[in-house]
Amino acid sequence: MAPKTKDKPKASASASQPPPPIEDLFTSLNRHIERSEFQQAVKVADQVLSIAPGDEDAMRCKVVALIKADNIDDALPTIQSSQKFPIDFNYFKAYCLYRQNNLEEALESLKSQENNPATMLLKSQILYRLGEMDACVDIYQKLQKSKIDSLEINFVAGLISAGRASEVQKTLETLR
Amino acid sequence: FPPPFQSIPRNPIVLDLAYNYIDFPSLENRMKKDRKGFISRLWR
Repeated sequence: MAPKTKDKPKASASASQPPPPIEDLFTSLNRHIERSEFQQAVKVADQVLSIAPGDEDAMRCKVVALIKADNIDDALPTIQSSQKFPIDFNYFKAYCLYRQNNLEEALESLKSQENNPATMLLKSQILYRLGEMDACVDIYQKLQKSKIDSLEINFVAGLISAGRASEVQKTLETLR
Repeated sequence: FPPPFQSIPRNPIVLDLAYNYIDFPSLENRMKKDRKGFISRLWR
């Protein structure tokens, strides 16, 4: 008698091992994100992707979680492998390339992107590293009205590196 | 002694402001609907 009752649940457990519902996975993914548990978030995003390959939300979560976990080296291949899906990862790609100091390719990835504060900030940071200070400062000038926190720090850095320290005071006054 | 402090120029600081624009998509619509919907269905 004993083996019979033992066998039954075992067999049914192994036979019916359905993947958790995708909503549950997203709920757990969301919880990890809220708790800044980025490594865990990557794992759950992978679980979603094993059920629903190419799911845009899961892909985005995975890439962002990798970047926030400071795992740029894994974020880039993930972006690369997503190219068969119609998801625009060019901003994230440009950012990862920038972090790896692959500046020319980073600029290339930004070319397809429309101008918005995010792409403009990234571009100006790339130009700064490339030593193209005037172009870098030009962008900060355009962003002045966008009310971006701490913009003045990078703006001043650009001006000073461009040999335009005399403009610093005036710039800070207009930003105030 | 000690020698007086002198100011020296330092490299300007550059912040990674672009990082602040990297964010997760909203998963609100992908999660299980909250219990409110379930209860209101019972009371319908």
